[in-house]
Amino acid sequence: MAALGVPRWRCLWRRAAAPLGLRRPGRALLGSRGYGQDAGSEADKEKSDVTKPCFTDELVQRLLSKMTGLDLQKIFRPIKQELKPPTYKLMTEKQLAEATRKAIKEAKELLKMPPVLSEREPIDDVLAEDRILEGTETVKYVFTDITYSTPHRERFIVVREPSGVLRKATWEERDRMIQVYFPREGRKLVPPPIFKDENLMTVFREDRHEDVLNLCIAQFEPDSANYIRVHHQTYEDIDKHAKYDLLRSTRHFGGMVWYLVNRKKTDGLLINMIQRNLMDDATCLINLYHMLYPDCQSAKAAKEQEVHGIDLIKVFMKTESKKVGYIELALQAYQEALASSAAL
Amino acid sequence: MAASMGTTLLRRAAGSLPGLALLPRLFWAQAAPAALLLQLQRPLLRVFSTETDPATSAQPVAFDTESCFKEKPWEYLETEEYIERYGDKPVWLGYRRNHKGPIPPQKTRKTCIRGKKIVGNPCPICRDEKLHVDYRNVKLLEQFVCSHTGVTFHPTRTGVCMKQHKHLTQAINQARDHGLLSFRIPLVSLQSEDYTNQHQAVAKTPPAPSLQSQAPWYAWYEWQQPPEKDIARIRRIYKDYLKEETGPA
Repeated sequence: MAALGVPRWRCLWRRAAAPLGLRRPGRALLGSRGYGQDAGSEADKEKSDVTKPCFTDELVQRLLSKMTGLDLQKIFRPIKQELKPPTYKLMTEKQLAEATRKAIKEAKELLKMPPVLSEREPIDDVLAEDRILEGTETVKYVFTDITYSTPHRERFIVVREPSGVLRKATWEERDRMIQVYFPREGRKLVPPPIFKDENLMTVFREDRHEDVLNLCIAQFEPDSANYIRVHHQTYEDIDKHAKYDLLRSTRHFGGMVWYLVNRKKTDGLLINMIQRNLMDDATCLINLYHMLYPDCQSAKAAKEQEVHGIDLIKVFMKTESKKVGYIELALQAYQEALASSAAL
Repeated sequence: MAASMGTTLLRRAAGSLPGLALLPRLFWAQAAPAALLLQLQRPLLRVFSTETDPATSAQPVAFDTESCFKEKPWEYLETEEYIERYGDKPVWLGYRRNHKGPIPPQKTRKTCIRGKKIVGNPCPICRDEKLHVDYRNVKLLEQFVCSHTGVTFHPTRTGVCMKQHKHLTQAINQARDHGLLSFRIPLVSLQSEDYTNQHQAVAKTPPAPSLQSQAPWYAWYEWQQPPEKDIARIRRIYKDYLKEETGPA
């Protein structure tokens, strides 16, 4: 996405017509934009014919946003804020259509997905060693460059230890110092205890997963360990209790689907979609799965037989899923409901 | 007035006399003076009876309940005593401040309890000693936050003293931090940031050659033999004061 800046390497998705190329080693590189350490292997990856799609690809984003849906009633639901007396507007059909169009545009802005990155490499570079300073101080000094115009990721923050060693500040120290000098709205200096495991459990019991994820985005950087841990725990809890509907029509749904598809835990989500009669979303999910794993059985079968719709789901169910019985039941129920409604 | 006198009397009675465990629980507001005297007389008789052993008698009930509610303050809000007293309504409903004139002062009193003295007409939280403001009893805290706007009520509306209002605000913030109380979270958009981590401020810098080769950072950290000319010059200057030759330090 252009707004995120031009990545140094692009993921190329070529249609499965090309022969299978080299597999990319390791899952950690998947969807990472912070990756740029070894420039040498870049060229190899671009040369290989089939590259794994990453989170920021156009096609992937399109599929994810289609699955997320656009429920205006949920996105613009009344929230707790200072109350004003309500305003009533009399509109013609044309004005109503215009207002709906504007609302959809704003909703699309609100549904832009936060980035999915791999964990950042820790910083531990020593810049200088001045043994002469040993014993002069009892505390560490942190020197921060507070030029207003530099981006935070280009800011130099160094620490002078009491032993005289001058080193670069670690990521946690960096985040803390930047929050001290350039405080951001919604971010606290010390992460609140809601992100501890026991408190997370309490919040999940109250079905406030969206709140937790919003707080996480406000508090942590997208490539920090805490951000990734909290997101993964939330997604696991949702998958465990099948509460997918909580995140539908929010900006977190895409991230959750990406997480589940990468770990091949799509069964619960598929059942949920079939039960809610979202067949298009189900096919999008299976297409995404095939994009990420083009060598799996169902992908090959789908390619050979050129299946669509319910048949695609049946093929996927027979080959790749672990909860075959449940998906069959759900499909049966859906077909019966279709038949009865057609009969009526 | 009479009611508060009743509370202080009861407290003193509870402190001084053992065997108050056998008394039924009294609402501080409803104790009639005659009944009070009766209650006070009963323990006096019990102390001298042969059945109860004053040494092993249980501690007065008042202390037990207070400490029990201190540990788990949310339990008090489930008791029938609380329901009978307050019902579904918030704790502060019906409380009226005493002030001169139609407009109340914009700040309530500083505190209701100074040392052991309690003012007349204490605020809704101070008048009930079983109510503890704690970040864990969310039901009590919710009564002081507007459910429509999410804003904490001003003390002039609820009538609490400034000290309790401060405790309440701290407890509400703590509860929100622990995730026990829901609130509106500001939307933070992450679209205009760059996460490539390529700049040398955050990327790996190769260490300096002297660090890699374990050489000292400055050459003069190690002993450097001075040039012969300087040694000779200094020897010449201090010729008369030189002791016998010592090796280089």
